[in-house]
Amino acid sequence: MADNKIYWSGLEELDRTPEFERIESQEFPAERPVDTFLADDRLQRANTGRRDFLKFMGFSVTAATLAACETPVVKSIPYTNKPEEITPGVANYYASTYYDGHDFVNVLVKTREGRPIFVKNNTETGFGRVNARVNASVLGLYDSARLQAPHLNGEATTWGDLDAAVTKGLSGNGRKVLLTGTVMSPSMKRAAAALAASSGVEHIQCDAVSYNAAVEAMEMEFGRRVFPSYQLDQAETVVSLNADFLGTWGDTVWYTQQWAKTRRPENGSMSRLHAFESVMSLTGSNADTRTRVKPSEQGRVAAALLRELTGQGAAVSLDEAVMAGVKAAAADLKRAGAKGLVIAGDNDVATQRIASAINRNLGAVGTTVKVNATPSLYQGDDKAMAQLVADMNAGRVSALIVDGINPAYHGADAEGFKAGLEKVGFSVSTALFADETASRCTAMAPTHHWLEGWNDLQIDAPRIELAQPTIQPLYNTRHTTESLMAWAGQPVDAYTFLRQTHNAAYTADAMYTDQDWNKGVHNGFLAVNVSEEAAPVHTGADLGGALRTVAAHKGGSFELDLYRKVAIGDGQQAGNPMLQETPDPITKTTWDNYVTMARVDMEAMGLNTYIAQEDPASVVKVTVDGKSLELPAFPQPGQTPGTVGIALGYGRGAGNEAIGKAAYQVGEGGDHLADAEGNLVPIGKNAFGLAPVVDGMPTRAAFDVSVEATGGTYPLACTQIQHTYMGRDSVVKETTLDSYLAEADVKRGDATWNKTIGLNVHDDINGDGEINALDKKAAGEFDLWHEHAVDGVGHRWGMAIDLTSCIGCSACVTACHIENNVPVVGKDEVRRHRDMHWMRIDRFYASDWDMERGEEEGLGVISTYGKMEEPGANPQTVHMPMMCQHCNHAPCETVCPVAATTHSNEGVNQMTYNRCIGTRYCANNCPFKVRRFNWFHYPGYDKFQNFNPAQDAIQRMVLNPDVVVRSRGVMEKCSLCVQRTQGAKLEAKKAGTPLEDGSAITACAEACPTNAITFGDLNDNSSEVRATYDNNRTYHALEEVGIQPNVAYLTKVRNTPKA
Amino acid sequence: MFGFESAKQVLPRLRGLASVVAIATLALPTALHAGIWDEGNIENGQALFNANCASCHLVSNEVLAAPGLAGIADRWGSSEEILVQWIQNPQAAAATGDPYVKSLVDRYVGTYGWMTAQAVSADDVKDIMAYVQNPPDVVASADTGTDCPTIYDAIEEEQSANGTIWFLILLTLFLIIALSAATVRKSLEKAADAAADSEDLPYGVRLQAWAWDNRTFVSILGLFVTAYLVVIGYQALMGVGVYQGYTPDQPVKFIHSVHVCENEVDCQYCHHSAYESKHAGIPSTNVCMNCHKAVKKGSRYGEVEIGKIYAAIGFDPESGTYLDGEGKNGYQGPQDDFQGEPLKWNKVHNLPDHVFFSHQQHVVVGGLECQNCHGDVGKYTVGRVAPVEEINGLVDDFPGLIELSKPTLTMGWCIECHNKAEISFASSGYYEDIHDRLKDDLRGNEELRRYMEDEKTTVKELGGWECSKCHY
Repeated sequence: MADNKIYWSGLEELDRTPEFERIESQEFPAERPVDTFLADDRLQRANTGRRDFLKFMGFSVTAATLAACETPVVKSIPYTNKPEEITPGVANYYASTYYDGHDFVNVLVKTREGRPIFVKNNTETGFGRVNARVNASVLGLYDSARLQAPHLNGEATTWGDLDAAVTKGLSGNGRKVLLTGTVMSPSMKRAAAALAASSGVEHIQCDAVSYNAAVEAMEMEFGRRVFPSYQLDQAETVVSLNADFLGTWGDTVWYTQQWAKTRRPENGSMSRLHAFESVMSLTGSNADTRTRVKPSEQGRVAAALLRELTGQGAAVSLDEAVMAGVKAAAADLKRAGAKGLVIAGDNDVATQRIASAINRNLGAVGTTVKVNATPSLYQGDDKAMAQLVADMNAGRVSALIVDGINPAYHGADAEGFKAGLEKVGFSVSTALFADETASRCTAMAPTHHWLEGWNDLQIDAPRIELAQPTIQPLYNTRHTTESLMAWAGQPVDAYTFLRQTHNAAYTADAMYTDQDWNKGVHNGFLAVNVSEEAAPVHTGADLGGALRTVAAHKGGSFELDLYRKVAIGDGQQAGNPMLQETPDPITKTTWDNYVTMARVDMEAMGLNTYIAQEDPASVVKVTVDGKSLELPAFPQPGQTPGTVGIALGYGRGAGNEAIGKAAYQVGEGGDHLADAEGNLVPIGKNAFGLAPVVDGMPTRAAFDVSVEATGGTYPLACTQIQHTYMGRDSVVKETTLDSYLAEADVKRGDATWNKTIGLNVHDDINGDGEINALDKKAAGEFDLWHEHAVDGVGHRWGMAIDLTSCIGCSACVTACHIENNVPVVGKDEVRRHRDMHWMRIDRFYASDWDMERGEEEGLGVISTYGKMEEPGANPQTVHMPMMCQHCNHAPCETVCPVAATTHSNEGVNQMTYNRCIGTRYCANNCPFKVRRFNWFHYPGYDKFQNFNPAQDAIQRMVLNPDVVVRSRGVMEKCSLCVQRTQGAKLEAKKAGTPLEDGSAITACAEACPTNAITFGDLNDNSSEVRATYDNNRTYHALEEVGIQPNVAYLTKVRNTPKA
Repeated sequence: MFGFESAKQVLPRLRGLASVVAIATLALPTALHAGIWDEGNIENGQALFNANCASCHLVSNEVLAAPGLAGIADRWGSSEEILVQWIQNPQAAAATGDPYVKSLVDRYVGTYGWMTAQAVSADDVKDIMAYVQNPPDVVASADTGTDCPTIYDAIEEEQSANGTIWFLILLTLFLIIALSAATVRKSLEKAADAAADSEDLPYGVRLQAWAWDNRTFVSILGLFVTAYLVVIGYQALMGVGVYQGYTPDQPVKFIHSVHVCENEVDCQYCHHSAYESKHAGIPSTNVCMNCHKAVKKGSRYGEVEIGKIYAAIGFDPESGTYLDGEGKNGYQGPQDDFQGEPLKWNKVHNLPDHVFFSHQQHVVVGGLECQNCHGDVGKYTVGRVAPVEEINGLVDDFPGLIELSKPTLTMGWCIECHNKAEISFASSGYYEDIHDRLKDDLRGNEELRRYMEDEKTTVKELGGWECSKCHY
């Protein structure tokens, strides 16, 4: 029934006039000649001539400019009723405790005018050291995406209505379950018990990242269902079987501090770390020997170790290289005896049991590994969780309360959980965000951020750690215990409930009078009596089954290892831009997860092995049991060939959940990217659930996966694309413990591994009567510039960084950036190398090539350097924190045309933002490339709207008011935390006492978990940093340039076994 | 106002309290020979009243923190001895069981609390009562008795002088450009018509001819005009960002002269954080209430301006108690749940964000007087940036005040002072330590000698001119 209508553009077309036909034949109509246009009379008679127009225009612009010169009126609003403890401009510190289901650490919270702005170590009364995740968690407090009120069926509601709905929901007949992460809080346990008593609610615990196998292994070995407590400060030999205990595995905040104590060469001995792993982890990069194994071999490595040590079990088949590593580790373990320690990381009961058996046979139980009777961390029960999901899907669950975890994201069967959740009669979540789980629940009862509420936490120590609020709750949230008690029909406020947990007779009258409590709040813990525990006794369970299980592990062409990255961890802080932009200490990549692969495998598949600004990574498809992920491939030195690694914790918010603006990808203009359905695009992909579930426990390894190139590309944003220092030994100096001890008492500058660099001079310095190459003068003695009077005059701030202790954990990076308001610039800018990081950690791999080898193999110099750019297949790694070196002969200072960067008489290279005109000469002249240029107005420009904390009305409260937010067009860099040194000086002046060593400390030194960074006054002869400067391991990076930095490094000492 | 006068004298007179107490305790109690109501010395009574009673009582029938005393002679329903005892020790007087005293206790103690026992003798009470019944006409003395003129009264002024300058410049510019635009157009039009009308020479051409004929005059005039414009322009440009004399309007017409000069309130009473923090701070409203719980009327604006404080903190002047979130009064202290609109002051001393300035460094460590930077605040109404000349004029009153030449709150002013201000090495353990380091080091010694060439060490010599001392 189609009728062909004819359309014409005008009557001319209808009539097909000759004029029309002529015009139609020409695609572009002829232009009107300029002459005829100008010849128009009317133009000459125009009222406003061009010159007049320009005059008026100029005038209006000038007038508008001048009119803008009005005195700005700044408002100043004092407190109406000032709290006694707050003085505007003065920081208060409160002892508190951080626990997020994984990390557990005592902290001090710095608040300004009632706003928490910094989290640091509680070194006086606390356990553990903050890491990057804990440090940066202060940003999460101010996230405007947090739930701001209770919700019922997606609508905001009141607490009263919510409580009524939950109470009704709990009256159902099916299973009623309280599903939490590992609960460390006695009050929370009490509330769970109350809920169980009132409505028969079961309590099930489940961890985001499961440690269930280690707990089960302890139960089989010792009859104690606990996660073992490792005492790394007692260990002489540590063997890590894919346990990244320095970065992400277990109680890292505690392990790092303990392990570093055994790594001081000045003590005359060091512990030795053997690592067996497939992906290069932070622990592996710090290991003295690192053996590349495949995930399927981990169990056999454990079995082989056991056999080497005890002769138990049958011989296992392993590569020669792996076997050599096993023999070396076994020899060291044998030597260490009870001071040896094997830590297995895989969530595999068999491997965990064999590792435990090794420790037991070494006699290490009780020294390096403690198996307490009372459970503490990682009490998750994967089997109970799996049963719960099955019951939910069968419609047998009538009510579900979820607290502290997000199984719809990280669950072993996340899809099953989501499907089951729809069949649960009533579900409620206490999450801070409407995350993957909470947004699917009937109700949301948001709890406080950890900085907003009281909490009590108990780990394996005779004390109860306290967390106290450091700010009034920002939103209409309610403490979990308060919610649970309301639902149990015994409404009580969270504080009273907490006090009553520890003193049943507590009433509000005693709020301030209990001196023990007051002291506890001040120190951050309450001392409690704990009865002496009996030593664990081996159950005598047979190991044969475990040995047979691991012997049967077989790998396919590719194997997969699921690891975690230091900054993102299990992904619960995915919306934290500071963590997203903290480079992974190994790959130096920000804002993404990817597939780590061995270079040889990538070359075999024809994938791009050079990733840079304009060289995107090749995308590969990894398939496990029909489930597949497409991710960019990253060439990782040290990766076991035939294995791939994918980081967990990414791909959050795949269903458009409101988990924070920074959790989603943005385009170049700064707007969120959206897929075809209009959903926001998460950062990275979710690899939870990719590995199979074995014995009811989600593993973190798959032994047979397929990897294929898709042909696609994807840009990655790496902050460091060079991998080696190409033979520039003056950047990084390293030696072995044996060589160090041989020359331990040699004066600084004389040891073979740390010789002062000499430069040739045209003068007969050595007095041999000839001027030749032997006439050398120490680099530090050359003076191209005038001396700065810094030695002996007033203060001279200096820093010493021990490369032996530095593990590259990046706690200093986040601490520095939060302290100094360093802007987050986003992936696109990082990719263009415009990251603003004041502090970075350079990661260098050793190359198999040097000039000598090049000469031997007949390569030219250029070709040899080319080879030296390539890291070795299983390279040794160095982590080198790098920030402004505060050179006394600073190359940047001499080239600044406006003297915006100058030297202070305290040895600090000062950067004066208000004077800087942005020529960037200084950055070009800096040999360390530590100066950063503000390309944009980060606190205001649209490109950064979705992740820069300063652009969020609430999140900008985290900015440090003592440090200016730099504006566009100026250089910035490390100031050695001048706000802190000035503050410490002022305190000393007010007290009328000399400046005490340690009172002035930079944010990085304060955050360092291993005490690798020492900061202080070099002119104070009793200071720690002065003593460190005189250490014979101390050197300056690029000493031969003669810039005389005030930052020094201490030669890295590896405890390498004798060949 | 009668009530105000007595109240505003409370604070200075409180200082005399100690001596009065000393005298009063020495005086032996004497028997009352005559009626207590009419034989005392009014003048002495006034002094005693102001020292002891005026913080709570008024001589009118208004309530301050306790009932007003007007007409007390008529309503006192008990003996004179009981009156004396009631003043000296109210609880003891109540214990006598006197029915009138009991009625007083029932009526007032619940609201105002017990009166503080006063160390006054019976003769003193006689004098006080004489004064209470016959208070002199204080209104007359209000204007004559003060040495505290308010010189810099900005409240009546427009905005800062800066605005006016810019307005004038803008006006001139506009006129010049408008005129020139007009003439250009006119001359163009005329030039266009020139062919038709050549007889009458255009105005511009005639002006040129005239200027050429009088070229000496024109060039000298031109020189002067140019020089004048250059000077004016230079001064205007140098004034950009200079806030001398800046006196923004404030939400409360606060009068410094009344507080600082007349009532001798120390600067740090309100701006106490100058000693503890980088900010001197605007006092929180609860600090105002320390006095204004009692002083409910101001000399110039009566209840209007003080009422703004009450509105902010939630205070009911009638009952003398605080309000809670529901507007219910009866509380002795400010209530956290009272959601008043806070006072939003306009900041007077503005420094750019990139400047770090610490009051405690200058006040505690440097020992500077407030006046060295803020001038004679006792002559101001609201806060104001004191011009440097004015501050220099205070040098006779404040020995040790450092005279400077650059405009206040400019960087030149800061560093000029850093170059003049001396540091005594002996002043604190901190500087002694710095001195020792200089002495004990070869290079330091050289440096020290250089410092001491002019026989003094200045802030600049110890690094006070370095950028990152203030910019970070």
